[in-house]
Amino acid sequence: MLEGLNSAASGMAAQQQRLDSVANDLANANTTGYKHGRVGFRDLMYEQAGRPAADGVRTGHGAAAVDAGKSFGQGVLQRTDRPLDVAIQGEGFLRIKLQGGRDALTRDGNLQIDGLGRLATNTGALVQPQITIPKGTPEAEVAMGGDGTVTAAGRRVGKLALVTVRSPQALTPIGDNAFQPSAASGAVGPAPRATKLTQGALEASNVDMASAMVAMIESQRAFELVSKAIHTADQMWEIANGVKR
Amino acid sequence: MERGLYIAASGMLAEQVRQDQIANDLANAATPGYKADRTSQAGFGELLLANSATGATVGPQGTAVQVSAVETDFTPKPAKDTGEPLDFAIVGEGFFAVQTANGTRYTRNGQFTADAQGRLVTAQGNPVLGRGGRALTVGADGRVDPRNLEVVALRNPRKDGDSLVTGTPGGTAAGQVRAGALEASGADAARSMVDMIASMRAFEAGQKVIQTIDETLGKAATQVGAVSGG
Repeated sequence: MLEGLNSAASGMAAQQQRLDSVANDLANANTTGYKHGRVGFRDLMYEQAGRPAADGVRTGHGAAAVDAGKSFGQGVLQRTDRPLDVAIQGEGFLRIKLQGGRDALTRDGNLQIDGLGRLATNTGALVQPQITIPKGTPEAEVAMGGDGTVTAAGRRVGKLALVTVRSPQALTPIGDNAFQPSAASGAVGPAPRATKLTQGALEASNVDMASAMVAMIESQRAFELVSKAIHTADQMWEIANGVKR
Repeated sequence: MERGLYIAASGMLAEQVRQDQIANDLANAATPGYKADRTSQAGFGELLLANSATGATVGPQGTAVQVSAVETDFTPKPAKDTGEPLDFAIVGEGFFAVQTANGTRYTRNGQFTADAQGRLVTAQGNPVLGRGGRALTVGADGRVDPRNLEVVALRNPRKDGDSLVTGTPGGTAAGQVRAGALEASGADAARSMVDMIASMRAFEAGQKVIQTIDETLGKAATQVGAVSGG
């Protein structure tokens, strides 16, 4: 009786999930290399309705949110003119080793030189393969080419490796702007040749404030709408209770 | 007279089914490519009543109401731009073909992604079929040419859950695929709200009929046979 109550509740839960995702996107509207989420919806199973419904009359059981992964649309490049900032143009990631020893991927090119002269991200994860800038080299004399070649005072010291996976959408975000490959994303391989690095710039978050706001309003209204179905179902229970006075 | 009791109750039960259908539409108000339903009711089992004393016919009398069908409105809805390279919308008639464990299914929800082998898949991981029934591979630029997606015309489409539809394929449909867009949900908030209110009031009317018949029966049982107190 009144399965609609559960269908409506599932719809509200689905909208809630999208709101959570949009809230996270908005919070990261200024995070370097951040990629916004793609949350969609699907309907649930359809079943023969109870009596008095004819054979073949089927009602649905509501909706569920679908996580379609991250959107890897290019973020806008912001000039910083800082020699150790590098932005990736096109598909690809920098390989880094987290402080716990795990390998990860990132598009956040806000690099630093650590105490031992090694190139690292601003959270201290070392760039892979390791690149050491000779002691005493001023930051202004570190150059990074479009293909990733790093030179210090004119001398080649290493090359930033650009890598990617078959399905970047399915990478697991692990925080600190880093991602880890998953079974669904496929193994790490070289990035397409077309991918270039730009020194002195950072890739801005690809969150579009306007679309995020629209998604938020849409979710909020849809949430409200479905809540009306719950209210109505509740009223109908009350009416049914009123049959016997 | 008791017949009326059961007729009214069947009407209330039928409104419950309608309410379930409306709740499902509302829950899917933001589901891409969702198609709204419409519940229709019909009387069944009409009896011809006759006067038991004279034999003169009184006329037909319905015995109950049933939900005769839930029809799905498969008319295409407008596409809205998302800018995502792996979002696709069919402008016009037709369905995308999807390879599932249960055979080929169809969908108008074009929110796709890529899997570990680089194939174009639905959010549930089922490969999307291209022209000639082959799985499509996402290019190195992260895109798929929308002209390569198969658009199937379906006879007797029927919703199957998970945004999928079953039916009999009947060649290529006229719809054009657009990348970077999703088809809006077919659920119409205003219409669902109005239907919901109408359905609730019909439910309430059924309750009133039952209460009235109950009162009448009560009178018949307690007052008709009562010895006058005067």
